[in-house]
Amino acid sequence: MPEPTVDLLTDILGTVLQESAFIFAEPDPEPEAWEGEVLTARIAFESTQGGSLRLVTSPRAAAEVAANMLGIDPGAEADANGQAAISELLNVLGGAFLTRFFGAAVPSQLGLPATSVGTSPEPAPHRTCAAAVRLESGEAIVLELDLETR
Amino acid sequence: MLVVDDSPVTRKMVRRALGLCGLEVAQVHEAGDGAEALDQLGRHHIDLVLADINMPVMNGIELVERMSSDPDLCGVPVVIVATPMSQDRVEHVLDRGARAYLAKPFRPEALRDVVVQILGTAGGSDA
Repeated sequence: MPEPTVDLLTDILGTVLQESAFIFAEPDPEPEAWEGEVLTARIAFESTQGGSLRLVTSPRAAAEVAANMLGIDPGAEADANGQAAISELLNVLGGAFLTRFFGAAVPSQLGLPATSVGTSPEPAPHRTCAAAVRLESGEAIVLELDLETR
Repeated sequence: MLVVDDSPVTRKMVRRALGLCGLEVAQVHEAGDGAEALDQLGRHHIDLVLADINMPVMNGIELVERMSSDPDLCGVPVVIVATPMSQDRVEHVLDRGARAYLAKPFRPEALRDVVVQILGTAGGSDA
């Protein structure tokens, strides 16, 4: 099995953003520290190895993703759907990661995404790999992989 | 038509896709999980179910199994609209009775093609 790479996570994140939300994002090799509220979504997976994926972003980026997914203008409705949009985005990212990293022929399963909002993301204790992208608006989205060792 | 997904955003996206691809659907009902879907199926005439797999309470596979074993519901086709899955999982859900699988994210045209293939019409459905 290949080692997970930043390039793989960056490609999956960029592709899923483009296909799910019609958002074009650039890789951000050195993301800045989070300021203000931070939205974190996490989803567990099980395959030949278990682990989890975590998506970290700002509520503003979440609202931007929601507006694009739903084809609505920025505003109250987009803000209200931001958390659910990031949750769904991570769900699709999870499926894309499993089929690309472990392969479509390998049995694998995703859990249910869970989201939380805080002033800083909880530290990921076993972070294996992470990738960040920046949206045209300047907002960042970070995808972190926690791959369990067996 | 019945859209079953625990994500309200996804349910709205499917509704939007149905509109964008030119399908004339008179009514789109929604359910947040398989149990809610069975309740909706008991109360409305549904021509086609678009269901996610990964849901709390009752997942999409259990929904398909329950519908397949119910004489009143076994004729209602189910399309699984879910995140990319391993081949064995796709085969499993098709074996259990689902008619087709559409991977997220999908283009509206792909949804139209599946619906037309199953219902044989691009519009005029009552449900």
